[in-house]
Amino acid sequence: MLIFNVLLQELRDAYANLEPKHEREINDLMNSYKKSYPEWVFILRCGFGLLMYGFGSKKFLIEDFASSALTDYSVVVINGYLQQIHLKQVVITLAELLWDQLKMHGKTTWENVPKNQQPFNTKSMDDLIAFLDGPHLEDKECFVCVVVHNIDGPGLRDSDTQQYLARIAACSHIRVVASIDHVNAPLLWDKKMVHTQFNWYWLHVPTFAPYNIEGTFFPLVLAHSGSAQTVKTASIVLQSLTPNAQSVFKVVAEHQLAHPNEEGMPLNNLYTICRERFLHLKSLYRRSANRNFLLHLLLKARSTGYLSTDDCSIIVESQNSGSGGPNFVLDMMRWRQY
Amino acid sequence: MAPTADSVASPPTPAAENDLQPFFVLHKAAPPRKPTGKTRRRIDLSPKKADAKEKDNVQVLDDNFRFESFNLRWCKIDCTIRNVLREINARVFEEIDRWVRESFDAIRACGVPNLARATRPHPIFNGAATSASRQLFTAILLTKNVEFVDDVLTFADLGVHLRSCGCHVAQLTSLDFSAKNGVGGCLKTLLRQFLTVGIDAPDISILASWYTEQGNYESPLVVIIDDVQRCCGSVLADLIIMLREWVIKIPIILIVGVATLDALRNTLPSNALQCLSPCGFTLGTPTERMDAVVEAVLLKHYHGFSIGKQVTTFLRNFFLRHDGTLTSFIRALKIAMVQHLLVEPVSFALEGLINEEDTKSFGGENTLLREAMIKRCLDLPSYQRPSRSNRNGDIWDCGLSELKRFRKLWVCVAMCLFEVGKNHKITLLDLYCEMLEPEKLNSRTSRHFELEKDDHSLFGGLQKGDFVHQIIQIVRDLPAMELCKLLKSWEILTRGITEINEKVKELQSLTTFDENRPRRDLTETSKRHTAKSNINVKRDGTTMKEKVATFVDCTIRQYMRPIESIPFNEIVFFDNVDKLRTALIGDPRRRIQADLLESHKFLKCSCCSKNGSMPSPSMHDTSILYTLTQEHGDLINLHDWFQSFKSIISHPGLKAKQRLRMSPSPKKRKGSKEPRNRSDASIQAEFCRAVTELQITGLIRMPSKRRPDYLQRVAFGL
Repeated sequence: MLIFNVLLQELRDAYANLEPKHEREINDLMNSYKKSYPEWVFILRCGFGLLMYGFGSKKFLIEDFASSALTDYSVVVINGYLQQIHLKQVVITLAELLWDQLKMHGKTTWENVPKNQQPFNTKSMDDLIAFLDGPHLEDKECFVCVVVHNIDGPGLRDSDTQQYLARIAACSHIRVVASIDHVNAPLLWDKKMVHTQFNWYWLHVPTFAPYNIEGTFFPLVLAHSGSAQTVKTASIVLQSLTPNAQSVFKVVAEHQLAHPNEEGMPLNNLYTICRERFLHLKSLYRRSANRNFLLHLLLKARSTGYLSTDDCSIIVESQNSGSGGPNFVLDMMRWRQY
Repeated sequence: MAPTADSVASPPTPAAENDLQPFFVLHKAAPPRKPTGKTRRRIDLSPKKADAKEKDNVQVLDDNFRFESFNLRWCKIDCTIRNVLREINARVFEEIDRWVRESFDAIRACGVPNLARATRPHPIFNGAATSASRQLFTAILLTKNVEFVDDVLTFADLGVHLRSCGCHVAQLTSLDFSAKNGVGGCLKTLLRQFLTVGIDAPDISILASWYTEQGNYESPLVVIIDDVQRCCGSVLADLIIMLREWVIKIPIILIVGVATLDALRNTLPSNALQCLSPCGFTLGTPTERMDAVVEAVLLKHYHGFSIGKQVTTFLRNFFLRHDGTLTSFIRALKIAMVQHLLVEPVSFALEGLINEEDTKSFGGENTLLREAMIKRCLDLPSYQRPSRSNRNGDIWDCGLSELKRFRKLWVCVAMCLFEVGKNHKITLLDLYCEMLEPEKLNSRTSRHFELEKDDHSLFGGLQKGDFVHQIIQIVRDLPAMELCKLLKSWEILTRGITEINEKVKELQSLTTFDENRPRRDLTETSKRHTAKSNINVKRDGTTMKEKVATFVDCTIRQYMRPIESIPFNEIVFFDNVDKLRTALIGDPRRRIQADLLESHKFLKCSCCSKNGSMPSPSMHDTSILYTLTQEHGDLINLHDWFQSFKSIISHPGLKAKQRLRMSPSPKKRKGSKEPRNRSDASIQAEFCRAVTELQITGLIRMPSKRRPDYLQRVAFGL
């Protein structure tokens, strides 16, 4: 077992330090697309959505395009490769950005916008989409650009989300620049979505750049033990949690650091501390019971026979020794100022 | 980009932090710039192949100019298309409006509830129970189109039409009828549209009280459900039953779109079907709409843009064999226009081409622009032909006016031919494609014509797709009266084109003469009863038809010239089919595989291209691995795959691969001791990354718990 762990660690080290092949050629290839940026902007202005496909990560390319050529428009980036994305939050942000942009233009035909504008975060999704689609400006040039990395990614793959994305894309004040990586991605959309809502203009832009961040969630095929989690995966999970859940993790982490010899934190202790700090533990534990990814990834609950005193412990293993487990959790939280 | 293990130990950079956020604002819009000469982006007018010296000399244009040109043109085309489709549907819409009024009157005939009854939060059950109070009036609109996307606009237009006729209209889609939201979901949408406010707790009584408060008993409420087949049947049934109960208080009339007549029967249970009082209406077929759009956009109205033969053929095939939607055709036209404006800058500068009456407008008043345009026009390949030696001549007179004239004549002939074909199931799109290939057309028509003269029976069976020949044949077989009608319509179509119009008039006069003569002959025939005169009549008629057929043939040969031979055709005709196909369809399944199998073509490295498609250690890891995948079936043994990969990475060349193939079975190999070193770990890591990347592209699936040593290959062949 020990040898296996050593080899595994060696593999992970090698994986983290892999040197890219053809770095210069890949850079040249990426740079070769730069001359097409004005064309892409023109296509966006004409009302199309840009859909980029081809082998290689297109994250850098699209963000570079957005940063350098779409400066006249606000740009929101959705990381579709992550596991969970709350689309309502995205739409609220889009509405706020559009609101700012409209104010900046100062030429609004304020017919559809009430003077005492209700805060966007209290509005329903339908209202928000109606706002994004509203004829606020005669000028067709006022739009917010939505960059969606991996629109076929795990966080956006379900039918409802795709329908919402299509409705957002069809709004008059929205333009979408998206990337797909999966060969069967077009199966996500019906003809109405493709032709009238997304209105895709396909762009074949193979980059051959490594899928660094997109591949984070995929287990290494030669280290497919299942139990061992990487710090990278854990960090993504932690950041997608609610502040309440993050604080609960913090409690467990602190306990584990304070009692390194114990196997975990008794659940009743956790309950007590959480109650003292006004933290809601029940929903977190129920998520675990529902086989949600959360506790499977980071916590291990054990039942020790008769007394049913379940212990919780953090089971994160680091890619490089020393930064895993509770330390890592605390570090992550400190950065995010929780 | 991704946070490495090291970066985790230190505070992450903003970029790395953003990578892990579900979403973030990359930047906010810069303040709007005032258009000044300095800030305008300048674009190169020269073609790609032009050398650097010429490139320096060419003039520049503003991006906004291009965009304005696009807007101007596309707005016109879009408007034309909308008008055409509205005209096609106008008759049906009128019928529906009439039926809605009749249905509303029938509901009102059951009695108007007084205010006290109407505001009670429950439906009225009429004791008399007439059919109007028991059933929901439902218009079943047969779209005759499997592809619903084409009818989205039709239903939107219907809504607008009914609103203009004084109805309250709500439009629901199949998405509103989901099992997840139940009947509450669609009720919410209904209330939202009728009341124009969002209501959290939807209830039908709210609608009833709104309708009463409005005091608007003169207007029916129309609910349009565009695609019934995709709705959840149980939810739709619930809504129908509920609306039926409230029909006296809320006179709702349903309009549902169906592709086939049995769609409602298949979707709804019998108890819901019994609540409906149906009435059928039919929309035009997709082919009719396509013909109308092609006629309006590509022939009748000119927008300074047209498509060449390759693009037309591609779009026709795409419509007939692949997509089948008018929407995609229109979208393709839009993409083609965008690409044309991008590829050919002159096209958007020549505003005069849009306005057919204007022969002198050439990029407005801008002299600089005019010079740039002329320079660019002189560089066009179609002007560079040896026959065009007079480069100093007036570019407008010798080129652009000729282009306009060519187009006018071409359109005129095309319209005349379609006038014959449209009553004989020949679609305009087919004809249009064929007419864009005049080389084939001329050779074929002349050949057929010669043979036709010799032996009529040879052409009993017409060649499929030989539409122009079919048209000539139809002309030949037309009865005299029909021929007269045809010539009359040709005379109208060719007005303004003197050379063709005169010939048509000439033929018309001959026909009049012939028409009179048979009549005289017939009178004589009735008197004489001779077989000889009958033969004469027949011969005269045939001669006339031959003359018309000859006229058609000559006109085609004379005026249907290849587009490529016309100078400056690039300004108007877009024909880059590959570019259009890539933008319209994409085809990621094939392209991503091709990327991997031919990575050296994209990376353009000297090291990998030597071996062609054979894997070499310098190649991109994922490319090597995917090339190796081609040797496997649907299941790939992980160990074998890794060993093959390793042999290529560490022992380049074919021999190593052959040695590996000759090695014993995987089980035996597993036992063999191999030296472990640092490079082993890195090879494994490279292998792991390549497998992950293949997994992201969806080209392989990970091992299952049942067979942990095997991966599944997903895609086979390009």
